[in-house]
Amino acid sequence: MADSKVMTPAAETVEYDDAALQAAYQKARKKQIKKDLAQPFDPDCVLEVRHLRKCFPLKKTMFGRVTKELVAVDDVSFKLKAGETLGIVGESGCGKTTAGRAILKLHEPIAGQIIFDGKDITHLKPKQMREFRKQMQIIFQDPYSSLPPRDTVGGLLSEPVKVHKIVPNDQVKDYVLQLMDKCGLRDYYFERYPHEFSGGQRQRICIARALSVNPKLVICDEPVSALDVSIQAQIINLLKELQREMNLAYVFISHDLSVVKFISDKIGVMYLGGMMEFGTKEDIFKNPLHPYTKALFSAVPNPDPDNKMQRIALGGDIPSPANPPKGCRFHTRCPYAKEICKHVVPEYQEHEPGHFAACHLLNEK
Amino acid sequence: MAGKKNRNYLSGREIRAIAKANKKEIKRLEAYKNRVAPEEEFLSEMKDPGNILEIENLHTYFYTEQGVVKAVGGVSYNVPKHSVVGVVGESGCGKSVTSMSVMRLIAGPTGQIVEGSIRFQSNDYVLDEYGDPVRDEEGNLVVEEKVYDIAKMPINEIYRVRGKEIAMIFQEPMTSLNPIFTIGQQLDEVTLIHVPGATKEQAKEKSCEMLRLVGIIPENVYGAYPHELSGGMRQRVMIAMALAAEPRLIIADEPTTALDVTIQAQILELLQDIKNKIDGSILLITHDLGVIAEMADYVVVMYAGKVIEKGTVREIFQDPRHPYTIGLQKSKPTMELDDGTELYNIPGNVPNPVNMPSHCYFKERCNRCIHKCSGDYPGMVQVSPTHYVACHLYGEEADHG
Amino acid sequence: MENVELKEKEVQEELSVDTPMDKNVRLMSPTRMLLRRFFRSKLSVIGLVMVIGLFVFCFVGPLVYDAWGENEPDKSGKTVYATNEYDGKDGDVQYTVHQTAETEQVNNSEAPVSTEHPLGSDKTGLDTLTRLMKGGQVSLIVSFLTVFLMTIFGVLFGGLAGYFGGWVDNLIMRVCDVLTCLPGMPIMLIIGSAMNAWQEAGIIESSWRIYILMASLTLISWTGIARLVRGQILSLREQEFMVAAEAMGYSTGRKIFKHLVPNVMPQLIVQMTLSLGSMILYEATLSFLGIGVPPEQAAWGSMIEVITKDQGILQNHPLIWLPAGICIVIAVLGFNFVGDGLRDALDPKARR
Repeated sequence: MADSKVMTPAAETVEYDDAALQAAYQKARKKQIKKDLAQPFDPDCVLEVRHLRKCFPLKKTMFGRVTKELVAVDDVSFKLKAGETLGIVGESGCGKTTAGRAILKLHEPIAGQIIFDGKDITHLKPKQMREFRKQMQIIFQDPYSSLPPRDTVGGLLSEPVKVHKIVPNDQVKDYVLQLMDKCGLRDYYFERYPHEFSGGQRQRICIARALSVNPKLVICDEPVSALDVSIQAQIINLLKELQREMNLAYVFISHDLSVVKFISDKIGVMYLGGMMEFGTKEDIFKNPLHPYTKALFSAVPNPDPDNKMQRIALGGDIPSPANPPKGCRFHTRCPYAKEICKHVVPEYQEHEPGHFAACHLLNEK
Repeated sequence: MAGKKNRNYLSGREIRAIAKANKKEIKRLEAYKNRVAPEEEFLSEMKDPGNILEIENLHTYFYTEQGVVKAVGGVSYNVPKHSVVGVVGESGCGKSVTSMSVMRLIAGPTGQIVEGSIRFQSNDYVLDEYGDPVRDEEGNLVVEEKVYDIAKMPINEIYRVRGKEIAMIFQEPMTSLNPIFTIGQQLDEVTLIHVPGATKEQAKEKSCEMLRLVGIIPENVYGAYPHELSGGMRQRVMIAMALAAEPRLIIADEPTTALDVTIQAQILELLQDIKNKIDGSILLITHDLGVIAEMADYVVVMYAGKVIEKGTVREIFQDPRHPYTIGLQKSKPTMELDDGTELYNIPGNVPNPVNMPSHCYFKERCNRCIHKCSGDYPGMVQVSPTHYVACHLYGEEADHG
Repeated sequence: MENVELKEKEVQEELSVDTPMDKNVRLMSPTRMLLRRFFRSKLSVIGLVMVIGLFVFCFVGPLVYDAWGENEPDKSGKTVYATNEYDGKDGDVQYTVHQTAETEQVNNSEAPVSTEHPLGSDKTGLDTLTRLMKGGQVSLIVSFLTVFLMTIFGVLFGGLAGYFGGWVDNLIMRVCDVLTCLPGMPIMLIIGSAMNAWQEAGIIESSWRIYILMASLTLISWTGIARLVRGQILSLREQEFMVAAEAMGYSTGRKIFKHLVPNVMPQLIVQMTLSLGSMILYEATLSFLGIGVPPEQAAWGSMIEVITKDQGILQNHPLIWLPAGICIVIAVLGFNFVGDGLRDALDPKARR
């Protein structure tokens, strides 16, 4: 790793006043957020997320005032069009699952804006949200805990159809059978219980349930991570096929880079709650800007024994999201970290059209 | 719907028949497992002295209420000295059960080793007639090389190899450490148990040495409790623990599956490093082909309780023969792959090895079936000195050549 | 070569017919699995026999053996004659006159085992077997009603607390804490004596007493079930299928009653069965203390209670009190065995 990017300590003589920098950063950020939130909605997008932020309280005073909080998702923004897939990659604790659930408003309260289909749904009450529920669905990682254990496949697939009155009551069974066929489930599964199926079939049931209400957007939260390799491929193909057929927009959350690369059009790389890099698949894979993205790619084991790749070694552990490092989140593990990275939060900027990254090193070039 | 019989369910009579048969078998096997036997009965000879572990025709069954699950149905492979053998396969293929059989950790009474032998070359301490370890003039323990057949060992003799000669690293670093003892205590215990006459000071010294070996500064971690460490650190501690008794064979059962990619890279590097430092072999079990390709010298591919292909890592990855091995490699999206429209996939489901047919288990999912596939289960065919495959497609070739 | 290829094609077509590999794996149906797990333990079979036997004895028994009524003493006791003697003197002849007269007809009390009284009779000549069966009826009905009521309260409050959390949870759980602190028996005694007064004033009838007592017992003992339900719901709520239900936009009522409560049922059934035993014991205790079932009605507790008043019965007539004691033991043990068996059978962790 001895390359030209080794820093020269002589140049680093600037004294950093952490508190002042923090205050200045917060002020600038607030101003920027206010400006961005006032922008008109993009009519082409199914989903637009602006400066999404979600915190979990860690400590409370006796009167319920939060004294310490965990910022699970900090300032995440992106746009997604119909028929497109956005892949979100990151390691554990990076907030990708929380982001997915926050978009569906399964977590409250949140800051920022979620614009679904041209409507701001950020501050809708649960009752008002019910209207939107059928248009946005979620598929989970664990196909064992995500299906109710005491309902037959037919029962659990019919329920949402009946509740949302997708088709008249007398056509529900036909509709469900049609849907099951689409998802590769045989019709005699209708009266069986989920526990009789293997993981792959259960995941198909989950997909069928999510699609039963004709959604426009599906959040796929690690849908293939718990499955075997040969089954993973089946599910990924099924998801792609259904996307073409129904013009679905996916937010595909995964820690597996190769899967994300295969299915996504745009990719966001998250680390400790923050978006580090965002761009189209080509941008991210052919020209990764952020050191974290580069390191992440190089860490994936290569199934070719003769082509053992050069690793960018990341030392140390992922810091706890409850106690993130100051300055750039990644500086504790970054092989190229400089003095400025330890104090100043790098700005999330557009470096190429549609290609965003947050890193100080990029600004120097 | 009511009254219609679900053909997917067992009838009462079948259930009773299964239970009766199971009870009889379990009783017999438990008696065998718990017997008292002289050492001669489980001493054996290696077929090839270059191996440290030879598994031959191993059958491990689970006697469940639904029927006999043949989790391992006739598995044979060897682990040569100073090498990494990777076992790869999907869930339920029996890769973990094989390794658990080697450790004799199969949960009874439902799980039983039914047949086969597991020969292990062990360095055991020589004991005198009172059962105390013999020491030479300088006070060092006298060691003698013996070959044990682990499958035939009575369960109360297993301490001779388990943990001492063969150590195991588990998948879940979160749950495999005891939360109420410090790392130091748990590490010391290994030495205290397995090295006869070790003192506490020696144990501590050894533990610190092991921690340093896995890249941890002992001062920071020795007194810490498991919950204070991150997943990667815990896995390092687990590795240190496995190393503490200086085993000749380390079984790593999905050591990196629960870890993040960047941490996985660290642990894999560490395992490589350790393999070179210690005088031993690693049996690496994983479902991740990438990990196998990076780590292993030899690869064993398993499917539904049987070995379907084995060979060196180059043979398996560059010249795979079995349609399953080929399919498995194609169905994994790679980082290089350039926008394929559809991912190759193997149709069907991973089988649950109950009531398996007599023909090839992969037949239903295979895209290259020939008529012979409906016949008997294919035998192992040698395609190169080190490369074996169990598939009818290659039977002919081998017959002629 | 072409031939081989053709053949291969045929095989391919043959294979494309639906032959899933899992067809040879057949499972045990959930009901069968449950029954198997339950009947595997001998204790739960014994418990089931005990419980069923008790039901047959208490509810079918009186139809078969109806020689005596619950409050119908056996008046066939030996007649007591009063003998009067008086001496007279008739001249020199002295004589004594014995005059015997039937004075009263006495109940056949403390009778030994006979064909008329298979278990003898008690101090007032009431048939022990009849009283035993009638007393069992009261015990079983009362305990079932109580447990049923308790469960309704428990599920309602536990469900609310578990689902909504926050201040609702806090409030309900603190009420539970307070109720757990209340000593059950002294409160029952106080209510018992209060009821004596009401009875005199004619506000209530004596046969209501036990129901009022058990109702008030319900009010302080639903906390156990509420805690159980709350705990279960708290853990179920975090499961992904509940998040999926939320994402589906189901109403709160549907989420609680269609998705959560059915999943609590196994634990609930176990808890209910175990509570039945303790409720029978409670009822017997109240009757024993004389504040429960009124004296004219039969109850196991009051059948034992006679020994405190008459040492002779304790020593010489075990038939009067021992059967009731045995019945209580059988009932409590039986329900506990069945409960334990159900716990093992329904435990989701044991399921593969």
